[in-house]
Amino acid sequence: MALIERFQKVTDVTYWEGQIPMSYIYTVGRAGEKFFREMINGKIFGAKCNQCNLIYVPPRIYCEKCFERLEENYLEVGTKGKVHTFTQCYETYDGVRKEVPSIVAVIRIDGTEGGFVHWLGEVEFKDVYFGMPVEAVFKDKKEREGSILDIKYFRPIK
Amino acid sequence: MRRVAIVGAGLTKFYRNAQETPKELAYEAARMALDSCEMKLSDIDCVVMGTAPDAFDGVHMKGEYLADGAGAYRKPYMRHFVGGGTGVLSPIHGWFHVASGMFDTCLVVAEEKMSSAYPHPAGAFLTIFDHTTEQPLYPTLIWIFAIEMNRFMTTWGYKKEDIALVAVKNKRNALDHPSAQLGAEITVQDVLNSEIMAWPVNRLDISPTSDGAAAIVLAAEHVARRVTEKPIWIDGVGWCLDTAYWCTRDLYYPDYVEVAARMAYKMAGIKEPSKEIHVAEPYDPFTYKELHHIEGLLLAPRGKSVEMLKDGYFNRDGNLPTCPSGGALGVGNPISATGLMKIIEIFLQLRGEAGKRQVPGKPTCGLAQAWGDLMQVGTVVVMRS
Repeated sequence: MALIERFQKVTDVTYWEGQIPMSYIYTVGRAGEKFFREMINGKIFGAKCNQCNLIYVPPRIYCEKCFERLEENYLEVGTKGKVHTFTQCYETYDGVRKEVPSIVAVIRIDGTEGGFVHWLGEVEFKDVYFGMPVEAVFKDKKEREGSILDIKYFRPIK
Repeated sequence: MRRVAIVGAGLTKFYRNAQETPKELAYEAARMALDSCEMKLSDIDCVVMGTAPDAFDGVHMKGEYLADGAGAYRKPYMRHFVGGGTGVLSPIHGWFHVASGMFDTCLVVAEEKMSSAYPHPAGAFLTIFDHTTEQPLYPTLIWIFAIEMNRFMTTWGYKKEDIALVAVKNKRNALDHPSAQLGAEITVQDVLNSEIMAWPVNRLDISPTSDGAAAIVLAAEHVARRVTEKPIWIDGVGWCLDTAYWCTRDLYYPDYVEVAARMAYKMAGIKEPSKEIHVAEPYDPFTYKELHHIEGLLLAPRGKSVEMLKDGYFNRDGNLPTCPSGGALGVGNPISATGLMKIIEIFLQLRGEAGKRQVPGKPTCGLAQAWGDLMQVGTVVVMRS
């Protein structure tokens, strides 16, 4: 089998600059409505599946394992969790170098199967470890708008 | 189900900033695959196309756009897409068409042109994340890999400098691959000294942005025997998708890869994969991923892959050569085309036609695997000569 032998051609080609110019309005959904409205109150909510005996965070309207409907089973899960894993990242999403690297972690909310990815604050990267107890730090109440960014970051519980 | 063989293959060079349009890349690979087994487009009953996010090539409805370049003019045609796992789903998708008895031949094409995305294709990944709970944080693909790599390393006590040996091995293997973009002799120190992206991931832990295409011709047994003296049989296929809520999984182990592998092994009648598989192409978009997948594929005990790597077990002349092609890290990573490149590598290895890359010992059973979506899909194909 022959293979095409070619050289990289980065100059002297004709090209057209284009875009796919679309913007979107994403609804947060039925479970998201509960989650984000409670976020404004400084609370984190999940959804419990009684059949599988587990709690999803963020909440969902269905259990992905048994397919039961969970909309009657939303519950407050507290604002504390543990670091499941983490990184310190040096680039932005489109490949630009950050001036200050940020610490990103997957947080497992205590007593649940669930959790989410968020920033860590008030901590040095070298001091972060798996299982580190952390808590959510919310923005001031008047600045909250029903977004995942209403949590500023998670910080170690002292 | 009918037995299905790979009878021909074609692969473009992988490189950045290809002049060719996506259609032209698809054509070059498809035409080469047909020529390799002396078949014409009129011998092909149907075409399947594997290609990953539309956002890379920047062509909405990319499957339809690529159809004519892939040889699908007025033929039954389907496109499939499971992110990075696409390239190994491609032969599976083609296999359905022929194994079912619906068609005797199928041309399988995989194409990706990532360098069109500007300023960097990494930006296209932002919108794969959950739009309300994750996108506001501006996640990057490298974050989530770094997060997973940390979990994998720390769980087993693996060292970064040992995982870096995967880059050394694969880039060296790629020196012998005529399609390779990044074949090189490098050292562990080069990996550790390269720019830090997101701890513990350095630049040389990552596969590049690439353009390229790959294609294979599948045939039912009665056609395959007529076309070639060396058909390579698809004896096992498996695929599995885990939850998109990736934060809820324990990231140290890819359960979904194990499920896909067990499905393929069962179908192929494989009881002891680490003994019965002679050569493997696990997906290696990042250094640690090759090891993560080797464990998920049951080709090494959990927590032992690094020790085996250090002992040379996965070298081209080792007990179980992995990524003898040079893999995504060395040959390059035009997403879907990479998976099919891995299938082609096993095809050539089992035919004894891999040239300087040929692994010793006349292998008769090999495996290719890919992985992708939100760290959630495993696709596996077992092949025999």
